[in-house]
Amino acid sequence: MAKKRKVVDAAAAPVAALEEAEPPRKRTLLGRKENGYHQTDDEVANKPVFRNKEKVLVLCSRRITFRYRHLMMDVMALLPHSKKDVKVQAKDNKSSTLNELTDLKGCSSCLLFECRKKKDLYMWLSKSPNGPSAKFLLKAVHTMEELKLTGNHLKGARAILSFSGEFDQHPHLQLLKELLTQVFCTPKDHRKSKPFFDHIFTFSVLDNHIWFRNYQVSLPAGVTDKLEKQAMEKTTLIEVGPRFCMNPIKIFSGSFGGQTLYENPFYVSPNTERSRDKRKKAGKYAKKVKAKQRRKAHLDINQTEPSELANVWDEE
Amino acid sequence: MAQEYSDDEIEFSESEESEEDEEEKPVEEARKDAVYNIVGIHEKLEDIGWPDDIDWIQSLSVTVEDDELKAVDVNDDLAREMAFYTQALEGARDAYQKFEALGIPFLRPSDYYAEMVKSDTHMLKVKDKLLTQKKMMEEADERRKQREAKKFSKEVQAEKLKERAKQKKHDIESVKKWRKARSDSGYTEGEDEFPVNVENGGPSAKKRRVLASPGDRSGGKDRRNREKRDAKYGHGGRKGLKKKNTAESAADDSSFRGMKRKGGF
Repeated sequence: MAKKRKVVDAAAAPVAALEEAEPPRKRTLLGRKENGYHQTDDEVANKPVFRNKEKVLVLCSRRITFRYRHLMMDVMALLPHSKKDVKVQAKDNKSSTLNELTDLKGCSSCLLFECRKKKDLYMWLSKSPNGPSAKFLLKAVHTMEELKLTGNHLKGARAILSFSGEFDQHPHLQLLKELLTQVFCTPKDHRKSKPFFDHIFTFSVLDNHIWFRNYQVSLPAGVTDKLEKQAMEKTTLIEVGPRFCMNPIKIFSGSFGGQTLYENPFYVSPNTERSRDKRKKAGKYAKKVKAKQRRKAHLDINQTEPSELANVWDEE
Repeated sequence: MAQEYSDDEIEFSESEESEEDEEEKPVEEARKDAVYNIVGIHEKLEDIGWPDDIDWIQSLSVTVEDDELKAVDVNDDLAREMAFYTQALEGARDAYQKFEALGIPFLRPSDYYAEMVKSDTHMLKVKDKLLTQKKMMEEADERRKQREAKKFSKEVQAEKLKERAKQKKHDIESVKKWRKARSDSGYTEGEDEFPVNVENGGPSAKKRRVLASPGDRSGGKDRRNREKRDAKYGHGGRKGLKKKNTAESAADDSSFRGMKRKGGF
């Protein structure tokens, strides 16, 4: 990251509102239940089967740069349950066009990479057609092509998702966690998936950003199926990539639009940031002149008294 | 005077502070009017969320409570990556224990080959890069060692020369002593048992023979006469030929310093 950011308190959520709102009701396979509800034995025995039929449409806007396109390809390689589509025009009416596209492809969620000005990458994460959706600004992007990321794993193996603890502490992060889980979790028994688990996606919240990492889990050689404690301790991770850092901008109730549910209070758009930088540079000369004047004034006020001994040698 | 000075100081410090504020304010300021509709968020969560009581194998999601992560400085790359790594490692261990508890095979058998996310050519590149890195490190190490050795080599050389001179002196001294001891003990002079020519380094040293062919046993002419006469009357002949370059002199670059390296890099 080029710019150093100040670390800020994460306690940005309005606390009063948090206390008023009830926690979300318990979700069970038999529908939503009030909190404190316990399932009867009968219900447990005849549990309906849960089937995850998630499909993700992955696509990007036009005028995307190669690096960001590679990132998109990497994401597609990691998600066997994804479908790809052609680039979309950036200025299209997003919600209707994209919802229609997603529907046509038979997908239930959409991951859109949108590039602006050939430098800023935004990512939309949306459940179609009824929402919610979230918009992120992606920063610190590294693709899998980079040679310093030395890991490798099976293509199509389902990833383990690891979330940092902070995801359960704020409502908007809870919603984002649900979204990320549904999009990045490959459905069980998906026909393109492989029945082994050798990599892990990490989502960590740090400094109001969500950081994504993908590691290969590497066990010591010779371990086949039974894991002893020793082998567990010797487990290491090798980073596979890609890497990126998501800065949440907004969460909407609809898919690609609708009522705003959350707005990141710390978000500054890259355009504003750049103009601010420029403005700072613009004042450089004026500042220098001002400093010189100040220095001169200071010297005028604090003139040193001529020393008594200055002329001692002149008299002789 | 003193009053004025102190006033000035205060003014300066204030102006500096305000400038700093200007720079940092927009970065940390949280917007007050940002929307945070918690009720709406919870509603949506109820709408789309998976049931809580689905099997873990469906979602494969683990939550890692990591207090370290909160204390990490974002700008410290190493600490940040380490925090992510530990989170991932804990998550992986957790997940693998769950797999074991469920009794599902989760490790790839060693004879199971399938497509990987990175192609073989790419992995070859990765390997190549690692190897070159290692090689470069080794080379740098070697160079560093050489540089250090060079620092000492001069001293070592001087030491050696000194040692040699000392040895020579010692030898001559010992021979002289031996001769003296011999003459003291009543040996007639001029009758050396073995004529040692000390100056020329012993009996085996060949006499320098000038102007004599290898088969000639005459001992050669004395060159000193010739040289003296040359010095006195001049050698004669044309000087012009001497001053011209020959093939040999052109090829000789012993006096040319430009191309020489000034030591290893």
